[in-house]
Amino acid sequence: MRNNSSDLLQVTYPQSKTILRWCQRSRNREWLLGYLFIMPLIVYFILFLLYPTIAAFIYGFTSWNMRTPPVWVGLENYKKLFFDRVAYPYFWHSFTVTLKYVVLAVPTTMSVALVIALLINSIRRMQTFFKVCLYLPVITSAVAVAAIWRWVYDPLYGLLNMVLKALHIQKVNWLGEPAFVIPSLVIIATWSLGSSMLIYLAGLKGIPKQYYEAALIDGVNGWQQFRYITWPLLQPTTFFLLITGFIGSFQVFEIIYVLYGAGGGSIGGPRQSALTYVLYIYNHAFRYYEMGTACAMSFILFIIIVIITIIQFKYVRQTYE
Amino acid sequence: MCDKPMSKMSKFQVKKLFVYLVLSLFVIWTVGPFIWMVSTSLKHYGDIFTPVPQLIPRDKITGQVYVTLENYHYVIEMKGLGRAFLNSLLVTIVVTAFKLFFDSLAAYAFARIRFPGRDFFFFIVISSMMVPGVALLVPRVYITRLLGLYNSLWGLIIPMSMSVFDIFLLRQFFLNIPVELEEASMIDGASRWDIYWRIALPLAKPALALVAITSFTWHWNDLMWPLVILTDAKKYTLPLALALLASGQAPRPHYIMAGATLTVIPIMIIFLIFQRQILEGISITGLK
Repeated sequence: MRNNSSDLLQVTYPQSKTILRWCQRSRNREWLLGYLFIMPLIVYFILFLLYPTIAAFIYGFTSWNMRTPPVWVGLENYKKLFFDRVAYPYFWHSFTVTLKYVVLAVPTTMSVALVIALLINSIRRMQTFFKVCLYLPVITSAVAVAAIWRWVYDPLYGLLNMVLKALHIQKVNWLGEPAFVIPSLVIIATWSLGSSMLIYLAGLKGIPKQYYEAALIDGVNGWQQFRYITWPLLQPTTFFLLITGFIGSFQVFEIIYVLYGAGGGSIGGPRQSALTYVLYIYNHAFRYYEMGTACAMSFILFIIIVIITIIQFKYVRQTYE
Repeated sequence: MCDKPMSKMSKFQVKKLFVYLVLSLFVIWTVGPFIWMVSTSLKHYGDIFTPVPQLIPRDKITGQVYVTLENYHYVIEMKGLGRAFLNSLLVTIVVTAFKLFFDSLAAYAFARIRFPGRDFFFFIVISSMMVPGVALLVPRVYITRLLGLYNSLWGLIIPMSMSVFDIFLLRQFFLNIPVELEEASMIDGASRWDIYWRIALPLAKPALALVAITSFTWHWNDLMWPLVILTDAKKYTLPLALALLASGQAPRPHYIMAGATLTVIPIMIIFLIFQRQILEGISITGLK
């Protein structure tokens, strides 16, 4: 783009020679300026991105409490995490809890978001009103969300149980009963479906109108329209939401920390039923000061996320090339 | 249309009505908890625990409708939420200002200035987006300690002062500004800095607004980083102070809901003012 325009300059302006010379002379100065402009980024990148990435990997092979120097232990941390059921009884459990949450929360959120997006897309008036209202939970602090829902879920005076009572349905101890813990968290996740809804809406706007017009002429009904036009053409959006949803909810922490952790007592919820992977990392790092183990767990998380991201890149390349 | 009898309404109109009805139910489901939050925060302790939900604060005995701000007064004065509010405001504003300046500076260099190794370095920086923040938590705390920023508000600001995603976003935006505009002013003798400051930045206002709003929302709401960096209750940010308040064992939803309202309101105001930019921005960038 730049080359083109300087060619253009040469033709159009008689003084272009002078400009080129000016550019030549100032090239070194330009380099220097470029480095100067990204200097803050270089410092930030080394301190807070590059160093932590390498350190998380290396400290994973040490026993370290952040106060005394780390001691090299080789693969001990990983071995213990994977096989020592006494030292780390909840490692695999935290994986199971996280996966259960992810597998329930992501598809539920996405399908409700899709339904809402389809509904909003089909109307003309008040689109913005519905979008704004349904987006509110997304901008709300996770701490406030947890606080609000704790009160809504209150077993005796919570809004939800009172509504259930009015409908003559059995009251539920939402956050206290181990079997209900993950479903309760999934409901909270579904509550804040605003961003998925907006991304689906953007996807729907991207489908050319001609397809629907052609289908209308062929006498296609609503369901067939969805099944054979909308759904296939939304596939990239769905895939994008699936991947980002997976990455995001695999790292769920703040809501669970406020609901179960901050009290200090039984962190992890009733019978550790809310002990997600990141909460487990947090416990080991900042409660037991086992930084080495926490780094090893962080590195495992990193590997999982990288694998998913690579799958995403592969898929995206396939669809668009 | 309304005065037509039901039988004359077309199937199409019934469908439309149904769609609006379903959407309204979803809105009630979404907004309901917020209204319940505000309602609880305005009640006296004695009037919270009612067998039937009372939306409007009503005295249990006299049946009189009232509104009280004493819960707010209590959490602001006694529970340190007033100070936490100011801490949060300070940190969020400074972080956002840093991000706007440093991110746009780097983004502009990546988009326009030519220097050796530029594209390679850009690639390296962009690939770091893959690394989940949680995985870097422990070493980041360690280096923040080494820098002497542990348990200070600067420790919340400096390690968060740049964002790779924002650089990526702003670079895309700078690339779309016509080069001719910059070259014309270069002929007039403007320096790179002038061009960046007087031409590129003003033209990138929509992108900068998006960066500012997301940064403000994110850091106003963030719990994780303050949780691991701060130990001194005087330096707590609002989410941290609220988390502490909310985790108590005794049932005192009136205080917690007052605190939650204080946390939510500023963001909601910003959102309602800038809702068009935010909603469009999310649709464009796929940002969460």
